[in-house]
Amino acid sequence: MPTLTLREPPTVPLEAETITPDVTAGLTLDAVRALPVYHGKRKLTVGDFFTVAGEPGESIELHGDLTRVKWLGKGMTRGAIHIHGHVGMHLGAYLAGGRIDVTGNAGDWVGGEMSGGMIHVRGNVGGQVGAAYRGSASGMSGGTILVEGNAGIELGMRMKKGLIAVKGKVRDFAGLQMKGGTLVLMSGAELRTGAWMQRGTIVSLAPLRLLPTFAATCTYSPTFLRVYARHLAVHGFTLPLAGYTRYAGDSSAFGKGELLVYTTPQ
Amino acid sequence: MLRIRGGKVYDPKNGVDGVVKDVCISGGNVVTDVDGGRVIDGTGLVVFPGGVDVHTHVAGAALNFARGLIPEQHRNAHPIVRDHIRRAGIVGATPTTFATGYVYAGMGWTTVNEAAVPVLSAKHTHEELRDTPMVDKTCCVLMANNEILLDLIEAGDHERVKHVLAWHVWAAKAYGVKAVNPGGVEAWKFGGDAKKLLEPVPGYKTLTPADIVSGMARACDELRLPHAVHLHCNNLGAPGNVSTTLDTMKALEGHRAHMAHLQYHAYGGDDWLTFRSESAKIAEAFNASPNLTCDAGAVLFGTTVTITADGPWQHLLYQLTGKKWGNLDVENETGCGVVPYVYKEKNIVNAVQWAVGLELLLLIDDPWRVSLTTDHPNGAPFWRYPEILHLLMNADFRKEQIARLPEKARSRIILDQLTREYTLGEVAVISSAGPARALGLEHKGHLGVGADADVAVYHAEKDVTKMFSHPRYVIKGGEVVVEEGELRQVVEGSVTAVKPAYDPEVEEFLRQLFQQYYTMSFDNYPVTPDRVHGLQVNELN
Amino acid sequence: MKNRADLIIYWGGNPAECHPRHFTKYTIMQKGRFIPNGRKGRTMVLVDIRETPSAKAADVFLQVRPGKDFEVLTALRAVVKGQRVDAAAVADTGLSLDQLTDLANRMKACRFGVLFFGMGLSMTRGKHMNSAAALTLAAELNAFTKFVAMPMRGHGNVTGADVIMRYTTAFPFGVNLSRGYPRFNPGEFSTIDLLVRGDNDATLVLGADPGATMPQPAIRHLSQTPTIVLDPKVTHTSRLAKVHITTAATGITAPGTVYRMDEIPLPLKPPLVGPYPTDEDVMRRIREAAERKAHIAA
Repeated sequence: MPTLTLREPPTVPLEAETITPDVTAGLTLDAVRALPVYHGKRKLTVGDFFTVAGEPGESIELHGDLTRVKWLGKGMTRGAIHIHGHVGMHLGAYLAGGRIDVTGNAGDWVGGEMSGGMIHVRGNVGGQVGAAYRGSASGMSGGTILVEGNAGIELGMRMKKGLIAVKGKVRDFAGLQMKGGTLVLMSGAELRTGAWMQRGTIVSLAPLRLLPTFAATCTYSPTFLRVYARHLAVHGFTLPLAGYTRYAGDSSAFGKGELLVYTTPQ
Repeated sequence: MLRIRGGKVYDPKNGVDGVVKDVCISGGNVVTDVDGGRVIDGTGLVVFPGGVDVHTHVAGAALNFARGLIPEQHRNAHPIVRDHIRRAGIVGATPTTFATGYVYAGMGWTTVNEAAVPVLSAKHTHEELRDTPMVDKTCCVLMANNEILLDLIEAGDHERVKHVLAWHVWAAKAYGVKAVNPGGVEAWKFGGDAKKLLEPVPGYKTLTPADIVSGMARACDELRLPHAVHLHCNNLGAPGNVSTTLDTMKALEGHRAHMAHLQYHAYGGDDWLTFRSESAKIAEAFNASPNLTCDAGAVLFGTTVTITADGPWQHLLYQLTGKKWGNLDVENETGCGVVPYVYKEKNIVNAVQWAVGLELLLLIDDPWRVSLTTDHPNGAPFWRYPEILHLLMNADFRKEQIARLPEKARSRIILDQLTREYTLGEVAVISSAGPARALGLEHKGHLGVGADADVAVYHAEKDVTKMFSHPRYVIKGGEVVVEEGELRQVVEGSVTAVKPAYDPEVEEFLRQLFQQYYTMSFDNYPVTPDRVHGLQVNELN
Repeated sequence: MKNRADLIIYWGGNPAECHPRHFTKYTIMQKGRFIPNGRKGRTMVLVDIRETPSAKAADVFLQVRPGKDFEVLTALRAVVKGQRVDAAAVADTGLSLDQLTDLANRMKACRFGVLFFGMGLSMTRGKHMNSAAALTLAAELNAFTKFVAMPMRGHGNVTGADVIMRYTTAFPFGVNLSRGYPRFNPGEFSTIDLLVRGDNDATLVLGADPGATMPQPAIRHLSQTPTIVLDPKVTHTSRLAKVHITTAATGITAPGTVYRMDEIPLPLKPPLVGPYPTDEDVMRRIREAAERKAHIAA
């Protein structure tokens, strides 16, 4: 596996969508070094910023403070990227397959409009995780995003399918205009969760302040949760199977979405 | 000086239909002969007068509003990367201004008529035209929902209608007069519409859309404007609107009119479920009316954005699509709506629309009276014109495409029965000579001595789409701007405005009403000549 | 609006103090073609978090709790469409369900409604989603009557900048040209976010004073990297900039065009002559100098 180590953090953002197994898999290390990256407005090469070592292969390992490195793993379909450190925006955007792991934090738009594969971030993530890019009708349409830390605004905005689970705190507008898929909020979220949602499911293990356009319908122990619980348990996310109150909404959007809020047994 | 030697020349205005000859250029014009200068070898190439677009939306507040509404389309559109001659931009359904010029010239089109300009924001339109290089430009001022004008038509004060119209044409630095959904946009300002040609417009006692159509057409004729009233009929897009369109043709009472995007006005059926083509009826009536010209407003399948001053139609489209919608009302003059749209082959209504545009182009027997347009960007972006030419020139290709349509759609169209194939000479008519004549632009659309030296040189090949998408050479105003399919230099274009004669008294008449009903100072209303880049004035007596 | 609007709503704005000519020139005080009785023919509603001087002009004043606009607008959308809303959650916004229902009924019953929204809406918690809520509400009301919405913008010719960005780059703001063509992503490429993250290594400031309005980290970044200011006067930003170039004031000593909030352009005619070059002159000369330098380097 090629190992790329950032020599020093770039002064302005470095756009490196070429660093993905789909591009590097068949390449020699020299060819990897020669791949183009954009440092601000300058077109340079991977080798100008990274030392490249190891063997050619289906996976890539990255080291260093990549906070200003954007678009890693863009549109990747296979293989794996292991990032040891923090990473910048658009990590795994348009991801279709394969797996990305981050030990640190990631920026905004993690898994933006992704359709498959998995992204696992141990630290915090920015806003618009799994979301639709501005103007697009839908956000992520498949795959899984797991976040151990906190997440920013508009988590899963306009998502259509797939799963996002967050252990830490989540800010406003989680599940904004959701069309399908599942959000799991292990520590709840701030305001306007599920705003304007049409379909899909948001599960929260902490109480939420709901919009006036959501109405409680029943207490609920849905069977489909078992499937998600099993899938999440493998990654250390524990989901209770019963004890939820179901809210329906968002009625401002004629929504058929559901919010399942876990109520601690009395 | 420049000589295009030995190309096969198609110059329909001068009766030249595929004759091998030289075209000589000097000082920006076509001349009889040149001594020296550059020679382009035209052997085996086809030489056309530069394309003329009689109806397009390339600049102005409405288009610019649309640009802001579709970032998702721009993101996936073809980008123009800045280089030593080109400014950065985006192509897509609503190209940015510089990109518009590059792309039009890049396929051999060198003159465009921006079809919808409100006076109130005409300054803005001219700002955008200034940043649209490579093409010469004209525009039409929107008048059929101007409240001052409508009151005068209702009062039967025809003399003043003429003067008010004339004043506005010059105030907007326009070339012609546009009528969109006469009375309907006015009614939309209270959420209504004007669908029936012979019934009063909501809010008026007696004034009907027919009165507006005939009053404006007559005034344009009497003012001797080089371009007839540019007419977007009432009831656009609606099932069964064929009757409205036929009534409009009658209401013109023999006056000249250019019927814009006729495709959108040639539908039968009682509702969306029974929607069908009525192109045969429209073409028959049109063929029998020598006072009329039209453009196709053809539709191609794919993603675009629809923009029209027809506000009520756009609200309906928003309700039908359930997606984005933008609306603008322009004080007491006009308005516009914007809805991003995808024409789908498997959608029966869309499939019928696709067929109707082609049917009209094939059924109208005089190519001089029908121009190639898509009502850009409404039916498709202008850079897809070559695909339409392909469909017109090759009946077998057309058959293949028809076979892809849903069975139900095929039973509601007549395209499969039409075997006509356009010749290259006819293509030169509908894409250049015809629209130039419809616009009354005497120096455009031909290669006779004295014509503007706008020339497109194509490499003839079976793949018509490819042939017309990538001209070998394009010459604009005598300068070679495209060579071997690549943009080689950027040139500025002119703006031609018409100054009809009007009674100066009309200005005081307008000033009073204006100050009562508008929100800006009357003196700031007209576009001053210094704001129009490359202004050429055609003064009428 | 002037000729037709019989219901005028101001939301999160204080036109009496911030847009003092709005009432008299465009909205409530005007007699219009279809509003012959002027003020008597119109209803004005003010929605804000406190009773500003604009409230005196209003027929109905609705006081919303700070940061609850999105909740109110979303609930209104549901009420307008006859959907159920939770009365207790509505009460949490500072308004009662009765007040909301009354407003929804007025909106549906008017002939021509206008919703103006100010920075009290667009710059508070929820930001662009608050604006989206106002615009969506107005769009949906067109199923019942004619309704429009418009932002009440501030800070000079911001609308003009927006308009020109759109026709040259296809996007209104937050545009990045580093790859040679325009890309758009507010939050990533918008000025404030770039500066706060420190993503740029130089700044050119034209017709703005970020040094006075932006958060501390942004101001710090401006002072730590080369900043150039073009302005008729010495601004807060000038003081922390490497270079300040005094330019002619548009509309006073330089001609130009200003766009109204409704994107109608107005020509500016300078009444005075001044010694300073226009912004355009300076930009052109900078570009020419840069091109010369690039040429020499090549």
